[in-house]
Order: sequence, then C-alpha cells, then structure tokens
Amino acid sequence: MYTQIENEVERLTDQPLLECLGHAGIGVFTIDADGSIRQFNDTAAEIFGIDDNTPWDDLSITRIDTFLSTGLGDKFPDLMASGEPFVGTAIGCTNPNGRFMVLNMSCQPRTDGVGGMIGVVEEVNTSGRRTEQVPSLIRELELLTEVSAALSSSFELDRVLKVILTAATASQGLGFNRVFLFLLDSENQKLNGHLAIGPSDAEDAGQIWSGLESKRQTLRDLLSSYEDSSRQHDEPITELIRHIGLDLSVESLVKGVCESGRWANLENETPLDDPTAALLDALGTRCMALVPLISKGKLIGLLAADNLITRVPISNDSVQLLQLLANQAAVAMEKARLYDEQKKRARELMRMNSLLKESQDQIIKIEKMSIIGELTSAVAHELRNPLTIIGGFANLMLKSELSVDLRDYLGIIASEVRRTEEVLEHVLDFHRSSQHESETLNLSDLVEKNLKLCLGRMHQSDAQISLSLASEKLMVYGIKDQLAHAAYQLFRLVAGELIPSGSAEVRTERRENNAAVIVSFECDDRARLQLTRALRQVFTDNKASQRLTIMVAGETIKYHGGNLGVAAGADGAPSIYFELPLCEEG
Amino acid sequence: MAHRILVVDDEALIRLLYERELGSIGYEVTTAESGTAAIEMVADDTFDLAVLDIEMPGLDGLATLNRLRQAAPQMAVILNTAYAIYKADFQTWLADAYVVKSSDLQTLVDQIQKVLENR
Repeated sequence: MYTQIENEVERLTDQPLLECLGHAGIGVFTIDADGSIRQFNDTAAEIFGIDDNTPWDDLSITRIDTFLSTGLGDKFPDLMASGEPFVGTAIGCTNPNGRFMVLNMSCQPRTDGVGGMIGVVEEVNTSGRRTEQVPSLIRELELLTEVSAALSSSFELDRVLKVILTAATASQGLGFNRVFLFLLDSENQKLNGHLAIGPSDAEDAGQIWSGLESKRQTLRDLLSSYEDSSRQHDEPITELIRHIGLDLSVESLVKGVCESGRWANLENETPLDDPTAALLDALGTRCMALVPLISKGKLIGLLAADNLITRVPISNDSVQLLQLLANQAAVAMEKARLYDEQKKRARELMRMNSLLKESQDQIIKIEKMSIIGELTSAVAHELRNPLTIIGGFANLMLKSELSVDLRDYLGIIASEVRRTEEVLEHVLDFHRSSQHESETLNLSDLVEKNLKLCLGRMHQSDAQISLSLASEKLMVYGIKDQLAHAAYQLFRLVAGELIPSGSAEVRTERRENNAAVIVSFECDDRARLQLTRALRQVFTDNKASQRLTIMVAGETIKYHGGNLGVAAGADGAPSIYFELPLCEEG
Repeated sequence: MAHRILVVDDEALIRLLYERELGSIGYEVTTAESGTAAIEMVADDTFDLAVLDIEMPGLDGLATLNRLRQAAPQMAVILNTAYAIYKADFQTWLADAYVVKSSDLQTLVDQIQKVLENR
C-alpha cells in the first residue's frame, strides 16, 4: 500500500493529494540529499513534532530520529548510497513534543534526479493494531471458549482427550487433518501413542469430511457429539499410533520439544535426527506440528498434528493456537486425573465404610449374642436348683411305697426334669463355647470327630450313619467349640430322633464358596413320610427340647455366616444341610 | 459307725433333700445354711465329709473351702454347685471332688462313697 502511495506522491507531488492523504491519517514527507525534511503534510508535521516555531535547521532527520528512534536517521546515508528502501513497522517512540506513539514508516530513495527520499508515516496505536487482529482473535477466543466449555462438561479422561483432538481437527476449530496424542510413561521415560483423530487416507477423508459438511454442525455441536462423528473412522489411525513409542532417554528433536516446553513446526526442509525421522516416517509425513502437553511444569504428553491429506502448509499461527489448546488440554487432563483419583478414593472409602458397617453390625451381633448368652446362662443356673429339688424329691419319693399311678406320675416328673436339665446343659455348653477365640479349621475334621463322638455316646441308637469326606480341605473360620457343638447336636438329632434305627449318610463337600455338610437319608416311602413329619416338628413346629437345640445350632451357624436348612434330595427324600463360608488357609 | 456328713447350702430345700437322700443311705447328715455357720460347726464338731455349695451369700464356697481346709484338714470336701464353670478355677482343686448339681443324685452319692473310701 505504501509503495503505491509513494509512487503516486512521487509522480504527482501536488498539494491536494497530500491533503487527502493527511485526512486519511497518513503523513507524507520528502528528505533532501543532505538529510533534512523538506516537504511534509500536516499529519507528518504532527508526527514529527514540527510546528511554526521549529527552526528550519532543526528539521534534520538525524535530529528528529533521536526522538523517534525509527533507525532511519542512522541508516539514511547507507540507504541513499544503496538505493534500498526503509521500512519500519510498529515502532514505539516519543516525538519531540513528548507524545508517545506507534509508527509505521516507509521511505524510498528518489529516482527522479532530485535526490533524497520520499516517505510516508502513519501512527498506529495499540488498539489500532489489535483492531486488525480482532477477527482472528475473536476466532481464537471462540475456539478456546467452546473447547473450554466442552472440557469442563466432563471429568472423564477419554472424553477430555477426544474433545481436544476433535477441536484440533475440526474445520470449525484448528482444522488440522490428523492429530495424534502421545502420553508420557514417566516410569520408562517414553512417549506412547494413545489416541488419534483423522482419516487414514484420502478416500477416508472424503467420506468423513463430506459427512461432516452435510451436517453443518457448529464446533460446540461437534464437540458434544464427538462420539457419533468420529469414533469409527478413528479406529485405524488410533490403532496405528498405539504401536508407536518414542524413547525420551535418547536425544532428539521431539525430546527437545518436551524438555523445553516450546512447540516445533517441522517442514520438509527441517533437518531431522533419527528418532524424530522414525516417528514421522511411522506417521507417513515430514511436515508436522509438535506441541508439548505440560501441566504444573511437568510433561504429561505430546500433541502432533499434520495436514497429510490436504498438504496445506502448517502456519506458525496454527501451531501457536494448537499450543494454547494443548495448555488447556493439559489442565483438563490433570483435572481428569485428579477426578479419577478422587473417584478411586471415594470407591475405597465406600468399601471401607461398608466394611466398617459390617464390622459394627458384627460387633453389635456379638454383643447381643454375649448378652443373650449371659442372660441364658444366668437363667439356666437359677433353674438348676429348683430342678434339682423337684427331680431329687421325685426320685426320693420313688424309693418309697407308692401306688402304681403315683409311681408313674413321679417317674414322668423325674424324667421331664432330667430332660430339662439336659436342655440347660446344652445351652450352658453353647455359652461356654462362646468364650473362645475364632480360628481357621477344617470342617471335615470337625464333622468326623463329632460324628464319632456322638455315635459313641448314643449306645441306645441303632442308626447306621456312614461318612464321606471331601478330598480337599474345607477351611472355615469360626469358634471351634461352638461349631463342634452345633455339629454334635445335629448328629445327635439325626441318630437319636430322626432315624433311631435307619440309615443316613453324612458327607462334606465344597459348594462354590461354601463348605457344606449334608445329611441324606436312605428310607422307603413310609419311613420318608415319618422322617418328613419329624423334620417338620423339629424345624418348624415348636417341639420342646429338640426345637431349642436345633435353634441354637442354627443360630451358631448363622452367626458364622452360614445357614442350616432342610432340602429335598434328587429322589425326593429330605436332607439336612449346613453351609459355612470357605476361607483361605492360614 | 456311720460317716458324718456336713451339707452346706443356702437353699433350704436342697439341704432337706440331701439330708433325706443321704440319710436314707445311712449317712449321719448335719446341715449348715452358710459358710460361716459351717466353719463354726467344724470348730465344735468332727465330720468325715462336707458337701459344699459355691454360690452362697456372705462367705462363698471357695472361701469357705479354704477355711475348712485349715480348720479341719482331715475332713473331705466335695464341691456341689449349679455352675460347671468353677471347675476351671484352680481354687476348686483343693476339694476332693467336684459335682454339678442334678436331680439325679446318684453321681453325688457315688462321689461321696469314692472319696470316703479313698480317705
């Protein structure tokens, strides 16, 4: 523009044009061969600080330039000798009147034989400069705002990364053809390919871009729907970089970018070291922007972008903008990482809370059991004396002369007192076993020992009970005496009440995460009916002592995290089982 | 001559029951309602064996056992209580036998015989 004006001024040098230029804010001036300003319009006079009081011999460009510092004063003799033009832009200076200004100045040696130079000068202030840049700044700001909004909408790392790469490749964004994200493996000092967006070839590009074009989405829409728009197409290119890594322990241009934190714009002519060349070759390009991802002064990754498909040269402005995006990305990634950590901690806290709650419940249960145990024990002891007295006197009376009826009645009293004393003995056994510590034990051993003990004590029973133990150890955790008491009472019930003269099998086995004890009965239809009735009485009806005994055994097993019940076998015969959770040995 | 047995129990009906049962077998039975009373009686009289309850108001059975051992070392003592748990207490090892109370007095009778025979 200035050249045109200068030419026009040089050709015409008439006053109306100078005034016209002056109205446009452009100063026009001539300098004679001695370096003194000779002609100037009002705008130039104002810029140079020349007024009516300025002595003529003070118009030397060297003197004026001591204020303006454009460099023209010093260079004037050389420019005159070489015939080269002088161009200075955005020169900040203070004129002889003390006014700060920013100038664009251009001078050209005259070729019309007059000698000297002709020049134009224009004051451009900061806002003026920015005004020129406003459209691009607005675009950048819009881009960053959209990206920022999209990033702040999620803390999920995958989404954050997709948003960043989408913003870098979208035509509404930075418009790169392909963008690759490498993440730092700090332990191995290596950058590993993680995610990429872009077409794998020109055909793919045509499909993607025409598809996106037809949708006419805004950047915001694109960022919010990134999953629909790009996932399928990005799989091959992501797969490509998943196998690419870059060793940061070896000196390279990429390492330099990572360490210095300064982007690089690699062009065809850029000399490359081997590791960088290998990286670019793997990506199929020689022109690439490399931008480090840095958060809190620490490298977390690298963004690489190219225009492989369109072959459009990558401008430094684009790379600078990519760096801005990368800075935002790094913060978002850090946030996502912290969010992930918090989520993990929250999950861990929830797990611990749950364990705590379970422990509290367990403690409350133990406390309750303990109180019930104490109470039961106290009641049982208090009952012992009256039972001793009742039963003792009944027995004493039985020794005297009595009628048959009275003898029978007293026999019943003595026998029932004895049975009640046995129930009390079981309750007290249970209470005593509660005093012991929990331990890890093999359920099969416990079953074997207590079945033998039970059968050995029950001389009056003709029950045939076989034993089949699991080949593997069935380790459970619990109070040995309590579990032994429960098992013993169960076998006592089987041998003494359910099948005093029948057959049964006791077997132990693993059932998923439980150790199981199963008592199955061998009986015909009639015996099965009787057995079912007997089981119903014990397990569901309120039948005196056995009911209490099985209830205590059931509670013991339940207390240990297991369960006791009756099930129908394959042949329809009922079976009794109890299960306890398995634990690791030791 | 019949063996002399001292029954010490705070429960009157227990004392009565034992007196009748052991008396019917042929023992000469005397009763005391407390440990303190038992110690006084031992000081004035001689017994072959004492059947001693543990849970009693005032001087309990274990303290009484100690005092009886000092006052009448030759006298046998059988602890007779509703509580099996005292069996684990080493103080009870001073006694010649430990029998949990039951309506079936046969166990107690057997133990009395056994202890008296072993004296």
